Amino acid sequence: MMEGNGIVWMSMRNNWMRLRAINSFQNAQTVGRGVLTAPQTSPPHGSLGQRALPLLAVAVLFFIGTVGASAESLLLSNAIVHTVSGETLTHGQVLINGNKIQAVGTNLTQSANKVVDLNGQHLYPGLIALDSALGLTEIEAVRSTRDMAEVGDYRPDVQSWIAVNPDSELLPVSRANGIAHAEPAPQGGVMGGLSGVIALDGWTTEQMTIKRPAAFHVYWPEMTLDTKPKEKFKDQSKYKSLEDQAKERTAKINALDDFFHEAHAYAKERDAIKKNGTPDPGINPPWEAMLPVVRGEIPIMVHAEEFRQIKAALRWAQTNQYKIVLVGGNEAWMAVDVLSSSKVPVIFENVFKQPTHDWDAYDVHFRTPELLRRAGVKVAFSEGADSFNAALTKNLPYSAAQAVAFGLPEEEAIKGMTLYPAQLLNMADRLGSIEPGKEATLFVADGSILDIRANVKQMWIAGKEVSLESRHTRLYEKYKNRPRTK
Amino acid sequence: MTKFVQRYNLLRTVLFVLALLAFCGGLHAAQTEIVAPGFRPVPPGVHALVDAKVVVKPGETLDSATIIIRDGYIEQVGKDITPPADARVWNMKGMTIYAGFIDPYLALENKNEEKPDKKDLGLTGGGIKFFGINPQQRETEGPGYEVGVVTPERRMVRTFSPDPRAIEKLRELGFTTANIVPGKGIIRGTSAFVALSDAEPNRAIIKPDVFQHVAFDLENRKEDVYPESFMGVIAVVRQSFFDAQHYLLDQADYQKHANTRPRPAFNLAKEALAPATEKKMHVVFEPRDALLMDRAIRIAHELDLNFYMVSSGQEWRRPELAKAAGVPFIVPLNFPVLPKMPNDDDWSQVDLDELRAWDWASENAAVLRNQGLEIALTTYGLTEKKDFRKNVRLAVDRGLSETNALAALTTVPAKLCGLDNLLGTIEPGKQANLTVVNGKGYFDPEAKVQSVWIDGRFYRVPSEPEEGKEEKDTKAEEKKEGVKPETPEEGDPNKPKPDTKVEAKTSTKEDKPKDDKKQEEKEKKLAKLKELQKRLAHPPLEGRGVISNPPALLIRNATLWTCGPQGKLEHADLFVQDGKIQRIGAHLFENKDVPEKTTVIKGDGLNITPGLIDCHSHSMIIGDVNESTLPSSAMVRIGDVVNSDTDNIYEQLAGGLTVANQLHGSANPIGGQNCVIKLRDGEAPEDLKFAAAPQGIKFALGENVKQSNWGDKAVTRFPQTRMGVQTFFANRFTAAQQYLKEWADFNKSGGLAPRRDLELEAIGEIIQGKRLIHCHSYRQDEILMLMRLMEQFGVKIGTFQHVLEGYKVADEIAKHGAGGSTFADWWAYKVEVYDAIPYNASLMRDRGVLVSLNSDSSDLARHLNLEAAKSVKFGGTSEEEALKFVTLNPAKQLRIDQRVGSLEPGKDADFVLWSKNPLDSGTVCLETWIEGKKYFDYSLEPARAKALATERNDLIAKAKKLAKLSDADGSGDGSSDDKSFFRRSLEHMYDGRERHCLDEHEE
Repeated sequence: MMEGNGIVWMSMRNNWMRLRAINSFQNAQTVGRGVLTAPQTSPPHGSLGQRALPLLAVAVLFFIGTVGASAESLLLSNAIVHTVSGETLTHGQVLINGNKIQAVGTNLTQSANKVVDLNGQHLYPGLIALDSALGLTEIEAVRSTRDMAEVGDYRPDVQSWIAVNPDSELLPVSRANGIAHAEPAPQGGVMGGLSGVIALDGWTTEQMTIKRPAAFHVYWPEMTLDTKPKEKFKDQSKYKSLEDQAKERTAKINALDDFFHEAHAYAKERDAIKKNGTPDPGINPPWEAMLPVVRGEIPIMVHAEEFRQIKAALRWAQTNQYKIVLVGGNEAWMAVDVLSSSKVPVIFENVFKQPTHDWDAYDVHFRTPELLRRAGVKVAFSEGADSFNAALTKNLPYSAAQAVAFGLPEEEAIKGMTLYPAQLLNMADRLGSIEPGKEATLFVADGSILDIRANVKQMWIAGKEVSLESRHTRLYEKYKNRPRTK
Repeated sequence: MTKFVQRYNLLRTVLFVLALLAFCGGLHAAQTEIVAPGFRPVPPGVHALVDAKVVVKPGETLDSATIIIRDGYIEQVGKDITPPADARVWNMKGMTIYAGFIDPYLALENKNEEKPDKKDLGLTGGGIKFFGINPQQRETEGPGYEVGVVTPERRMVRTFSPDPRAIEKLRELGFTTANIVPGKGIIRGTSAFVALSDAEPNRAIIKPDVFQHVAFDLENRKEDVYPESFMGVIAVVRQSFFDAQHYLLDQADYQKHANTRPRPAFNLAKEALAPATEKKMHVVFEPRDALLMDRAIRIAHELDLNFYMVSSGQEWRRPELAKAAGVPFIVPLNFPVLPKMPNDDDWSQVDLDELRAWDWASENAAVLRNQGLEIALTTYGLTEKKDFRKNVRLAVDRGLSETNALAALTTVPAKLCGLDNLLGTIEPGKQANLTVVNGKGYFDPEAKVQSVWIDGRFYRVPSEPEEGKEEKDTKAEEKKEGVKPETPEEGDPNKPKPDTKVEAKTSTKEDKPKDDKKQEEKEKKLAKLKELQKRLAHPPLEGRGVISNPPALLIRNATLWTCGPQGKLEHADLFVQDGKIQRIGAHLFENKDVPEKTTVIKGDGLNITPGLIDCHSHSMIIGDVNESTLPSSAMVRIGDVVNSDTDNIYEQLAGGLTVANQLHGSANPIGGQNCVIKLRDGEAPEDLKFAAAPQGIKFALGENVKQSNWGDKAVTRFPQTRMGVQTFFANRFTAAQQYLKEWADFNKSGGLAPRRDLELEAIGEIIQGKRLIHCHSYRQDEILMLMRLMEQFGVKIGTFQHVLEGYKVADEIAKHGAGGSTFADWWAYKVEVYDAIPYNASLMRDRGVLVSLNSDSSDLARHLNLEAAKSVKFGGTSEEEALKFVTLNPAKQLRIDQRVGSLEPGKDADFVLWSKNPLDSGTVCLETWIEGKKYFDYSLEPARAKALATERNDLIAKAKKLAKLSDADGSGDGSSDDKSFFRRSLEHMYDGRERHCLDEHEE
């Protein structure tokens, strides 16, 4: 294939640059002079950066995230360490051993194979992109590259991590801004299915997937009434009165509720077979998939944007004592009271959504995270799971930053992308903060990660340094070096 | 139905009317008409209506007066008149008699009716002759205009043959005559004025071709047939009238030079527009909403037409625009009705605008009248005509005086239709058209229309016998409410309660004897209802617009990002006067020297930048952003559909935006003409326009224009490939060159003027250097293609929009001299943007391209400063240069940099106060100023939002109370279009929603 040369060249260059990058971080305070400061090398012509069809792109394996092996032990020193779980250390040190963080402090005495002086740069735990289409989509307009939404209302046994494309060009672009993990979520229907958690590093789907299943996704039935007048329907038989729509919506919610009760019944049946030896009618895949859900082993992520949906979902959860996480939350600000009393956390995806109502304050969604926090609601951030936003997952910190501009404390914004997502995924023992014993997934930035102008300079996932190169940087390097034409 | 043996033709009818006129004054006019045996003979024609309360004309009433009718006209009216010996005497005690009511805008055809025999028009021509587009359709075969919905040749007088029941329903409301209007299409045809009598059509017709009718109507259009956007509709209207003007010239020229020139094409439609074009016939515009009404007025003036306006019911939004029309309005009374919400929480989906529209609706007639405008009322828009009286009453309750309401039913419509010599008052010589109401008169909802007189003939109302009616009328909509004298509405107590009930007042199931107490209760309830009906809604632009406008303004000790030669100034002052920046610099004034009446702002810690400029916006456009049907829609103009009322303006001001380039979408290679606006919130559409900005046009390349992502059906329109895109441009530019030459020849040598072709005219202006190209583009090859092609025509491209592979051909773009207006980081949403990189802006800038960052999104337009910050991150553009990507550079690209884009003395005082460095993600826009006036103030936002929420809560409370009191039937739920409560106004249809280049049109 034509691209062959480029691949080899790129991966070699990657290795070389990684070594250089580790040893030379002096210009800590320089804002944005490109991602990598390698010497200029003319790229070979005619290979990279040409438009590849998606399938080609899949075939073109840029060896993402497979750069070298982790050092035995590595001491990162002289950094502003955002431990997230504890205090931020101004002259902090982090000792990495293998894939774990061994120690965090300001005066570590342990020795390390390698010491890197971070020159006062920021060190953060890897960011987690909740409710994402990362890996499940490549090019929104090309149907063959979209794998995030299935059909049918009830398919709890759909598993997102199965379909992740490890070579998606979207992954390195996200990773280059500190996104270390993502939760690809199956979309569509009512019982959407099971999500897993992937590390944005690995050769195969299996290597990348670090938790399966991680959460169960329920898409709360639409509760907004269609108020389009009958005359405006092309097929007037499709018109339904408000009353009929209300009935339908109640029926849908009842069906959802019934489904969970039936899932419980199935679990009971399985338990009885095991414990009491009752006759075994055989397993049933959808119900089987619901077992970890009804046993409370994984959280129920309930997608609900609208006020009525949020209220109904919370009521449902409370009645049945389900542990749910609210995802979306466009009108969560209208339901602050119920959210507050139920203590249901919110994965907020609407910071940069325009006001929904004409009576909303213009900044209603900028303020929602702080409004919720003040009410005692835990808020995590997500860019949402649509295909378009998958390509822009890198902007996750800026949603959080906008919430900070409108009142949210900075630490909460960082937590909302690190520790809280880890907690919501039941992975806080491994991810989400810089603490001894946790995975060494962290990154260096030359400014606050909330600041758009800042750049991520170096990154480790589970102790292994990963490349910050991407389709973007490759094309940048290539065309930056295009000889000037006259 | 009565049949007349002796048939009168139209001419004779007219002669008859003229004869009436000639002999008015008491002379006998006509001989008795003898019909053949077996038919009912014509009754004697002399009547004396005695002892009536006669409303001679609005504001003039005679008590116990007499009217003498002779042979269809009024012979005498007055107090002391002895009925002539030959008169049949009618005792009218207790009756009020009005001049017969006139409906000036009666549509009898069903708009939604699908006609099976629609014909594809084989003919195309002018600006719509393109390969592979969906054919135009018309109901009939034969010659006509190239756009199927332009049918000025349709004459209602040709097809007038009404359903007697439809006519009867109008008589029940007191109407005696009506102007029958065509109900379909854009240029619809001419109306016919008729008597609502039982006479056969030839006799009933009073006046043919009263008006030509134009409606900005997109209902029931076949998909993908030009026009499908409002700007397309307006372009069609414009072109049609120009064509009609030219047609006259062309025909006249042919008369002179028949033997030395080709025969011009005959065109029925263009011919039919002649009377309107020559101001011999009024054009009635039905513009659909308040802002489009403004556009209709401007079009009418532009085309030099005599015109009237049909009210959209929305003029309350901007009464001053209606006032500017200065012409009478024909006012429908189809008010939204309260819905029954299944659940209390369901009110959460009801927007303030919907509530306001509901609360203002019945006041709209009074609003128009209060602007000094004449109004005529119509039943138009009411599917259930019986709602008319109830709604007239509501309009009266809300400020329309009864006198004005009566004028709106009689004298005004008579005058509009040019029949005030025959109709509208009860005076000798007028036609004997009368409306007889018992009780307190028409505006008392309890009073019934007892009868009407048309052409001197008596029509009982209701004309059907009472008995047997109940069985017949089981359907709710057939129920004749409020017109049956002295009869309880529902005689049969076992009869199921009908679904549709107007108001509680009409329900009188109870026994009569107990009525006294009931009556009292009823009155109490009515009084309470009336009290409740008072308007709570505020004017929609309240809380928007100029917040302060100080004579002079001094901001002291701030950080000024001038984006001009002075760079970034710390601890500097900004002095503004007369809307302009006067001075900039450190410590401009000693305290004592500060000019009088200067507002001084302490700028410590504040950052001030020029107002942000968005070089690619679709946020303030009414209706579709695309006229996506034709591959070239150069004739459509965003300037025709500027949405001054959308909330987007306020939201974007709140992000520091002051100027936006409103662009047509990217659905076709040659899109529509752009419109650069300033976000002077609260101003009317025309006043938002940045007058100094040169005209431009949208072009587009690549996937969108070759319909790559439009589904498998869209495979016929040329072009389907990037090859074809080039071919298409070359073709249109060559055609435009030729067009320019035709005009140049004409201007030099005279003769017959060429036909104005608005498409080629716009493209010609590009060639002439008068119109800037803003071209949507992605791939490097197509960028090069357009530059090279345009160079052949001597054209320099204004900007490449998006230009996501601009970094690959930056040298070439720089050399050509086009600007590059790109996204900060959008990519991967389609194949042609897979190579888009966030370094694009920096890379292009590094190679000398004039770069801006745009939004193409009503969200991103709220924080373009943050988009600019991404260029600092990606590619290392300095902060000051990055800020220019959203200030000075777009100003240069739009050729408005002499006015805006930087903080320099002499420039417009458009600036933004930020809490921090504008590129810091923690920054907040505190104030936005345009031309020295403050339009946004962050500190006022909580109060503003609270006021809106309070107003909304009050309105919901009112709605709920009213629903309870009036036993609302919930018919506003949408089952009937004209009553639907949920009417998203065109102004706010897209609020809260992203608008992109390829936005699909509303269903």
